[in-house]
Amino acid sequence: MLFVCVLLQGFALVLGRARGLSRRGRAEEKALALLKHWLSPAQLAQYQDHRHFEVTGCHSGKRYRIRQTHQMNVDELDEQGLRTVAWCFGPEGALPIGDIMLAQKIALENDEQAALAVANRGNPHQISPRFG
Amino acid sequence: MAKQIVMNATGDTRHEFNPEDAAAVAEAAMRFKELTGTGFTAAVRRGAGASELVRHFDPAADETVFFPRLRGG
Repeated sequence: MLFVCVLLQGFALVLGRARGLSRRGRAEEKALALLKHWLSPAQLAQYQDHRHFEVTGCHSGKRYRIRQTHQMNVDELDEQGLRTVAWCFGPEGALPIGDIMLAQKIALENDEQAALAVANRGNPHQISPRFG
Repeated sequence: MAKQIVMNATGDTRHEFNPEDAAAVAEAAMRFKELTGTGFTAAVRRGAGASELVRHFDPAADETVFFPRLRGG
C-alpha cells in the first residue's frame, strides 16, 4: 500500500512538472509570435537566421543587437558591427524571452535615453564569443 | 477589432474591442489608464516594424502593447 502511495505521488509530481513546462513552452511560443509580428521584415529575416536582430536608437542613431538570451543580451555596436558595450535591462516580472526582446526593441527605438538610464552596463569582453 | 495586448508570464493577455462601440471604447480607455497608471508602458504598432510610445489612449490604434516598467538586469 505504501509503495502504491509513493508511486502515485511520484507520478503526480512528474505530471505537475510536465504541465508547468508545457505552460512555459506555450508562453514562450506566444511571446515569440508577438515579437515576429512587430519586427520589420529586415529584423525578422535577421532573427530567423541568427536568433538576434538589430535596432537603431532613436536619440543617438547607434545600432544595437538584441540577442535571444536573458542576461546582458543588448549589444551596442560600432560601425564595423562589433560589440562595444553590453547592456542589460528589461521589463519587470518573469516574462518570456520574446516579450523581453520586444520591450527592448520598442524602448530603444522610441525612448533610447530612458532605456539606457535604467540599464546596467557590462563589459563586452566578458560575454561568450559565441553570442558575438 | 482593435486589440490591447498586455505582456505577462503567460506571454500576454489580449483584450479585443470594437472601436465603433462606445461602451467598449470606454472600457478600453479605462484599461489603458489603469495599466499605465501602474507603471506599464504602452506602444502602438505603426506598420511593419514601426511603433510609437503613447501616453494617452488612442481609440484609432489597431494594436497596442503594454509592457511592465523597465529596470536594469
